[in-house]
Amino acid sequence: MILGRDTLRRAYGIARARLLFRGCTLGHRVWALGDVRVRREGAITLGNQVFFLEGPIASELICHRGAHVRVGDQTGFNYGVSIEAHDSVEIGSRCLIASMVRITDRGARRTAPVRIEDDVWIGHGAILEPGVTIGKGAVVSAGSVVTTDVPAGRLALGNPARMLPLETVTTSRERA
Amino acid sequence: MGALSNWLSRRDVRRRATLGRDVVLRGTIWMRGEGRVSLGDGVVIDGSLAPIELHAHEGAEIVVGDGARIDGGTSIESRQRVHLGARVRVGAFCKILDNHYHRPQGDHRREVPRSSPVDVEDDVTLGARVVLLPGAQVGRGSVVSPGTVVTRRVPAFSHVVGFPASVRGMS
Repeated sequence: MILGRDTLRRAYGIARARLLFRGCTLGHRVWALGDVRVRREGAITLGNQVFFLEGPIASELICHRGAHVRVGDQTGFNYGVSIEAHDSVEIGSRCLIASMVRITDRGARRTAPVRIEDDVWIGHGAILEPGVTIGKGAVVSAGSVVTTDVPAGRLALGNPARMLPLETVTTSRERA
Repeated sequence: MGALSNWLSRRDVRRRATLGRDVVLRGTIWMRGEGRVSLGDGVVIDGSLAPIELHAHEGAEIVVGDGARIDGGTSIESRQRVHLGARVRVGAFCKILDNHYHRPQGDHRREVPRSSPVDVEDDVTLGARVVLLPGAQVGRGSVVSPGTVVTRRVPAFSHVVGFPASVRGMS
């Protein structure tokens, strides 16, 4: 069969993304199989092949007046992700944002831009505080609360998150 | 529309899962994957607060023991085996996974690593927003406080707090 089930789903996802993100600047083949609630008062830019997976809980993408949200190519979001920008939230290319992650640039005390560089992986339920920068290739462990910058290629783990070498997680996993 | 889709989602669970006696299903229950899901006698799955996800990939299984209770927003994903013992209580918005789905190194991100089964023994209480990562084993009668992330073995009858998790006395 030329048109497989996956191809059809992908086509449906692309059409759905066009509808959900109308008025946003979209790259080519952005797809959304999951539900995304978009509030666009500022500028939302999604790169090529950005995707939103399907899940039991809807994601939300809120960009207030005068703010911007920028997402790089091939970055993927699982379900229940909540992104809210009052100033600036920037996410790099090829990032993986797991389910129920919360990213916002406004907290109780301050508003400061959040920047996530390329190839970052953020685990389930992690929370990023305003003003943090996650360096290239870093991993934020599930459930972490990130209050300070994460250097490139490090593992942020805990509440509040502490920095560990990436190898910590690899060795424990291979042992298991 | 909402009530109908909730009912359809529960009907899907009743058709595809192996159910014990007196299983109570409420709200929306998202069942995905070709794997085996079995719910023991008197299990309560209450998705009225937020949808519950039961996702057993092909060849994998999710086993929920007798009298267990799962609250809203919880998601259980299995690629090999997730086992919840009898009378286990799972709080709202918990996440239970037996696979990380990605490797930490940037150039191997798309490879799926090996699974390590998750085992929650009898009479365990998991608070809200607890995350059980691959390889987590929670011993009998333990209490895991809300927001805790568990990645390894928790001894029986202990009280676990914080992230990284630490044992604070006995339950």
